[in-house]
Amino acid sequence: MSAARPAVRSLFSRHLAAAASAAASSTTAAGAPVRPAVIAAAAVTSAQSPSCHHQFHSSAQLASRRRPRFKSVRAEEMGLVSEKKVQEYSDKTFPRYTGDEMAALAEQYSPAQLAALEAGEAAIDPRDLTIQGRLRVDPYRMPYIDDFAEIQPIIDRRPRKQPPPDPNARFMNLDEFTEDLIKWADQFQPGPVTGTLKKLTDFVPKEYRKKPEGQWPGPVRTRAREDFAMYIQEAASKPPADPDAAASGPTDADVLEYILERSSMTDGNLTSNSSLAPALPAKIPGVTGLYKNAIDPADEGLDDTGIYQELKKRTNMTVREIINTRAKLLVTRYVTNQTRLGKIRSTSILFVAGNGNGWLGIGVAKSVEPSAAAQRAKMLAIRNMQPIRRYEDRTIYGNVEAKVGGSVVRLFTRPPGFGLRVSHRIFEMCRAAGIKDMSAKFIRSRNPLNTVKATFDALVNQPNPEEIAIGRGKKLVDVRKVYYGGAVH
Amino acid sequence: MGVNSVTNACAHLQNASRARLGLTSLPNNKYNLRLALALHRAGFVNSVTRAGPHPPPPETLLTFEPEPVTNMNVATRRLWLGLKYWNNEPVMRKVTPVSKPSRLVTATLDELSRVSRGFPAGHLKGLNLGECMFLSTDRGVLEVREALERKVGGLVLCRVS
Repeated sequence: MSAARPAVRSLFSRHLAAAASAAASSTTAAGAPVRPAVIAAAAVTSAQSPSCHHQFHSSAQLASRRRPRFKSVRAEEMGLVSEKKVQEYSDKTFPRYTGDEMAALAEQYSPAQLAALEAGEAAIDPRDLTIQGRLRVDPYRMPYIDDFAEIQPIIDRRPRKQPPPDPNARFMNLDEFTEDLIKWADQFQPGPVTGTLKKLTDFVPKEYRKKPEGQWPGPVRTRAREDFAMYIQEAASKPPADPDAAASGPTDADVLEYILERSSMTDGNLTSNSSLAPALPAKIPGVTGLYKNAIDPADEGLDDTGIYQELKKRTNMTVREIINTRAKLLVTRYVTNQTRLGKIRSTSILFVAGNGNGWLGIGVAKSVEPSAAAQRAKMLAIRNMQPIRRYEDRTIYGNVEAKVGGSVVRLFTRPPGFGLRVSHRIFEMCRAAGIKDMSAKFIRSRNPLNTVKATFDALVNQPNPEEIAIGRGKKLVDVRKVYYGGAVH
Repeated sequence: MGVNSVTNACAHLQNASRARLGLTSLPNNKYNLRLALALHRAGFVNSVTRAGPHPPPPETLLTFEPEPVTNMNVATRRLWLGLKYWNNEPVMRKVTPVSKPSRLVTATLDELSRVSRGFPAGHLKGLNLGECMFLSTDRGVLEVREALERKVGGLVLCRVS
């Protein structure tokens, strides 16, 4: 008989309640002599019930099996939603500004701002916040409630610090261009500023200076141009007063920046947020320089196209090592994606790679172009290479089994000279990894892809005798090749 | 002495080990006690303690003084075995009973020597890397290498790895 069952338990509690009330009211009722016996039975059962269930292990019981000790009690009955409690909570959680705090705020804000603050405070009743509002305490809550002092790139819009592009901007004409060029060149004027270069308008009489060049009379214009050309020639042929200063003009980088980045429109060379008027050669920070295929002299001219550069960075191998890695195509699958436009056929290729000395990796890639898939799979295989445990550098440790999908692979350790009596795909894997004695068996599905994957899993997850010995507290000694001076197989 | 309790103990130990329990218990009988001690010798369990229906406090496991078994308390006695873990893996990964009440498997000395070297013999497969086999012999429950040392064969109880 178990008291843990809810029905039985409720029955007991009903009995107990009835018996208690009956005992309190009168003991002369007809049922009274029977009830104490029931009470006694119930009491005995409930007292013994914990010891009935021995816990035969020392771990804690599952929480889900536990039932609450008490029935749930409403918040109203506990007095948690009374007016006094609500007031207490809102006073504690949403306190008003104290006099000191107001004084501190007054130092920081103008009276108008302070008035706005006070109006805002007065607009929201703390009681509403308590009853209707909800303060989040979960780990994904915002780090602020309504403080927008910081920009959060995930939540907030990208700030647009630049003004909008000038809608009236147009390409500069010759004069504006000259003026802009002179303005740019002036910033490289070395030493104390001796005055800027003269412009074309400085060579015409005063009455024409305000007018555009097209309205000048012909002779005036011709003369002004001749004078300006002479002035430019003179200025150019004049030897610099300070030879160092001449050397400190605009550098090649400045000139390049002028050519590539200076706006050729009449917008005052302002940058903009808009894509309507982009600066044409966009130098995106973080991307510049990434697309340069600098040929590394350490590659010995083996990788002029740069296909091995990423792999070189990831694996820390040299290009020669990468090329010398044994890679073998093991599985080719022709797969089709049915779209509304028709079938798209691609090739999925599995490559295996190894250094022939205990490292093995597999890579799978898919592409519409088979050669691209093969190239990628090969790179992935080399990238995924990891060490394989080998006993005496020739066979595996113990017999291992692994399962991928419906393919179960069993690998068996074998004595020296046994050779590789395995299927052709496992043979290639063993050769790449440098395993020389092994046999294998597929006991279920022989799906090529899954058998290769399962074999890789099995090779990677070989048992480690050292770890087993440590777990059992034993000392491990390999006595092979101890006797006869090691001259044994 | 039926092999029944040993078969049950094998299943229970494997389950408890996979559930990562620290301490578990077997019914107290001679067969279980001998198997537990053999497991302890082979390094598969931390401790073997006879106690009541509640586990002894873990800190006193090594110095625990069990109360003497009497007619009054013998029915409630249990064997408490401390399970071992290393590198987040149970030391006792797989416990497979070999003999069962409906089929008892025995092994001669020749068969045992073959099996312990990894070759199959009769109904028995060869032992794999790190695998142990426990036998019930007239010298008690022994691991296969102990049995070979004492030159006795016997009833094959279980394989543990």
